[in-house]
Parts: sequence; C-alpha cells; structure tokens
Amino acid sequence: MIQTFASSIGGFVLGQLQFVGGSTVLFLHSLKEALKPPYYPQLIVEQINQVGVRSMSLIVAASLSTGMVMSLQFGLGLEKFGAKLYVPKIVSLSIAKELGPVFTSLMFAARVGAGIASELGSMTVTQQIDAIRALGTSPIKRIVIPRVIACTIALPLLTVIANAVGTFGALTVGQFELGLDSGFFIQKVITTVKIGDYINGLLKTFFFALFVVFTSCYYGLNVKEGTRGVGIATTKAVVASSILIVVSDFFLTKLFWIIEKWIS
Amino acid sequence: MDFIKVIGFKKSFGTKQVHSGVNLSIQKGECLGLIGGSGAGKSVILRSLIGLEKPDEGRVVFDGKDITDYTEDELVNIRKRVAYVFQGGALFDSMNVYENLAYPLREHTKLGEPEISEKVLTKLKELGLEGNDKVYPAELSGGMQKRVGLARAIIMEPEVILYDEPTAGLDPFNTVKIQEMISRLKATGVTSILVTHDMPSAFAVCDRIAMLAKGKIGAVGTRAELDASPGGIIHKFINGEQL
Repeated sequence: MIQTFASSIGGFVLGQLQFVGGSTVLFLHSLKEALKPPYYPQLIVEQINQVGVRSMSLIVAASLSTGMVMSLQFGLGLEKFGAKLYVPKIVSLSIAKELGPVFTSLMFAARVGAGIASELGSMTVTQQIDAIRALGTSPIKRIVIPRVIACTIALPLLTVIANAVGTFGALTVGQFELGLDSGFFIQKVITTVKIGDYINGLLKTFFFALFVVFTSCYYGLNVKEGTRGVGIATTKAVVASSILIVVSDFFLTKLFWIIEKWIS
Repeated sequence: MDFIKVIGFKKSFGTKQVHSGVNLSIQKGECLGLIGGSGAGKSVILRSLIGLEKPDEGRVVFDGKDITDYTEDELVNIRKRVAYVFQGGALFDSMNVYENLAYPLREHTKLGEPEISEKVLTKLKELGLEGNDKVYPAELSGGMQKRVGLARAIIMEPEVILYDEPTAGLDPFNTVKIQEMISRLKATGVTSILVTHDMPSAFAVCDRIAMLAKGKIGAVGTRAELDASPGGIIHKFINGEQL
C-alpha cells in the first residue's frame, strides 16, 4: 500500500515536471518560430473569431450575472449599516481589479482551453499533426502561434467587455432593486475606478491568456492514449490553466503593485 | 550507391525494445515491401525516414546525407522530396478535399491559384475522385480518404514515397486501384517503401520484400529469391506459422 501511494505521488510529481518542462520548451520554440516567415495572418483572424467572438455570449452572461449578484449581495448586506451608497464604489472597483479579469479568464480557460486541447488532441491521434510535419510545415507555426496571438488579443478585449457589462449589471440592480440613482451610480464609478485599475486588470489577462493557450496546446499535442487520452488531456488543460490563473493572480497583483509604487 | 540506408537502428518504447539493430538499404527507383507482424515496428522505421521518429541508436542516411540528427528546419528539404502516405489518410478535417490537396502546393511553391486548381483537379481525376473537391474528409469513405491522402502526398511529385499500409481495410476494387497507382508511380522512377500486411499487393508491386521480425530484418530478397527458400521466415509469416 505504501509502495502504491509512493508510486502515485512519484507519478504525479513526474507529470508536473514534464508539464512545466514541456510547456516551457513549447513557449521557447514558439517564440523562436514566431520571428521567422512564413506568417499566417488568415489563421490568426480565424482563431480570433473562434476564441474571441464565439466566447462573447458566455462572457457577457457570466459578467452580467456577476455584476448583478454582487450589487445585490453588497446592497442587502450594507443596507443594514446604512452603507448602501458604497455599493457602486465597491462593486466597480472589485470588477475592474479582480473579478472582471479573473472570472473572464476562468471562463476563457473552460471554453477555449478545453476547445484547443481537444482539437489538438484529436489532430494528434488522427495523425494530422504528423501530416503537417510530413508535408514540410510546422505545427507550431500553423497551430500554436495563431492560437497564442489570438488568445492574447481576445482575452483582454473580452475582459474590457466583461468589465463594462458587469458594471452595467450592477447599475441595473442598484437602480431597480436598491433604489440607487443611475446618475449617482455612474458618477461614483467614474470617480472611484482609475484608468490604472483597468490597465492592471487587463495586463494580468495577457499573462492568463498565455497560461491558457500554452497549457492547452501542450496537453493537446502530447495526447498518447487515443480518444481516451483526448478527454484526459482536455480535463488536465482546464484544471491546470485554472490553477495557474488563480495562483498567478496573487503574484501578478503583487508585482504590479510593486511596479506601480516604484513608478509613482 | 544506396539511396536510403538504415544502419543499426534501435528503438525502445518504455521498457519494450522494438528494434534491436535494423539494417536496411533501398536503391534509387526501387520499391521495397516491408512486412512483419503487428507491433513489429514497421511504421516506426518508415516514420524515422522523414524524421517523425528518432532512433535511440543507429543512423538514417538519405541520398548520402546522415539525417538522423537533423532539426525540424533541416528536415523540411527532405520532406519536400519524400512523401508519406498515412494509413488512415491523416487528412485535415477542417479543410475540404481541394484544400487538403492544395496545402503542399500553397506552402512550398509559388504557383498561382489557377495552376494550383488545375493540378488539384487533375490529380483528383487520376485517382477517380473527380467531383469530390468540395467534400470534407468526414463525408468520404475510408477508401476515398486513403486515395485523397495518396493524392496529397504525390501532388508535389516526390522522389520517394513511403506507404504505410495503403491497402489496409480496403475492398478488392480499391485495393487494385491503389496497387495500380503505386505501379504507375514506380514506373516514373519514384523510389518507394511499402509497409503492408497485404501480401498479394506486396508481391504485385514490390521489387524486394524485407521481413521485420524480433527487432531485426529477418529476411530480404526478391520474389524469386524468396520462392527459392520455402522454409524461410517470410513463407512462415505468410502461412501463419510461429516465427
């Protein structure tokens, strides 16, 4: 029993090391290949549509709901202390700095990360990735780089939309459920949230996009056990991307805070 | 001089050693049949000839150049000269048949769209696939997918074609079609290696047959040479006897 336990721990650690090493190598190869022609702008546009435009409905629904629920929860909670007027400040700042970027990125990891891992996994098991190589072309150039560029463009833009929609959701609940004047709400949002707060959030999503896309590409390109392996790779991609997002959020927040202090 | 040479090829997967020193050589213009039991590692040898797989030990020499340690960039020039016909076709399922065939032409030539279109449609006609250019791979039968895969592989007019079980799972009509195509290409001077279990096809198109068994080449020879040794390993394999 102890041997089985030790072996499963060893297997897990080995798997994590392979993931870190493999995705780092993939990142470095992508960086190197991105600088050399040929370039595939058409594939980048297709991917922006795939990962960005098609994720819009999910992001809008999630952020609208988050904004509305936050406004309602804070409103009902703060009302007891006569502090309902602070709802616009609290909600808008939370959305701009944390909830918008992190929630959007987690949704993105679930939808886009799963999509990329399963698509690439299927291509691997049906030898399409081998065929790209056998035909004298590079899977990194044709498959990975367009997705990397598309994700790093799409996720910050989706976050901008999520921030706006989330704040709108909060405003709607503030006006109709909490009885706050919409003009007052908007004015408080404008005076509370600085442009730097939005930029901080958006910069984080750039890194989150890299985590999602490289994790998903790594697992997708390394599928080994046929169609069963595709399912496992997809699950691993979503779990690993989500963990990377939530863990790195703290360190990125701290890093940006230090940079902000240093600049000012 | 040997056009393609595999020297002391060793390869293991996990703890299982599949190849324990394979030596093989192919002359220019020759068609070599590579046979062997399931899991003998025939496809691995084939894949290593274009760098899709690397040996643990041993060398792969192509046209006098040792390509064993070539990088992906260096292999591009080899892969333009050597076509690989995958067992299941390995067609890009996000592209239709026309785009699949146009893919290597768009990537490696400066041909304009009218010339590409002409080449693609001619190749489809040659393989009896006319009218299927707008169809997606998922809508094609297995036999048609294999033929499209073959068409895509040969559209760049390669010097060498590596066939991985091109007739596996095909009906007799499609098998004969593929055999005819391989023979036609051979007649134009193309060097080819045919990995197969389909002995009638191997005997119909190959100049020599090599048998992979127990990690090594167990026997190699022409049809006449093999017929002259009735108790040999290839005869045992064909008759389903224990090797």
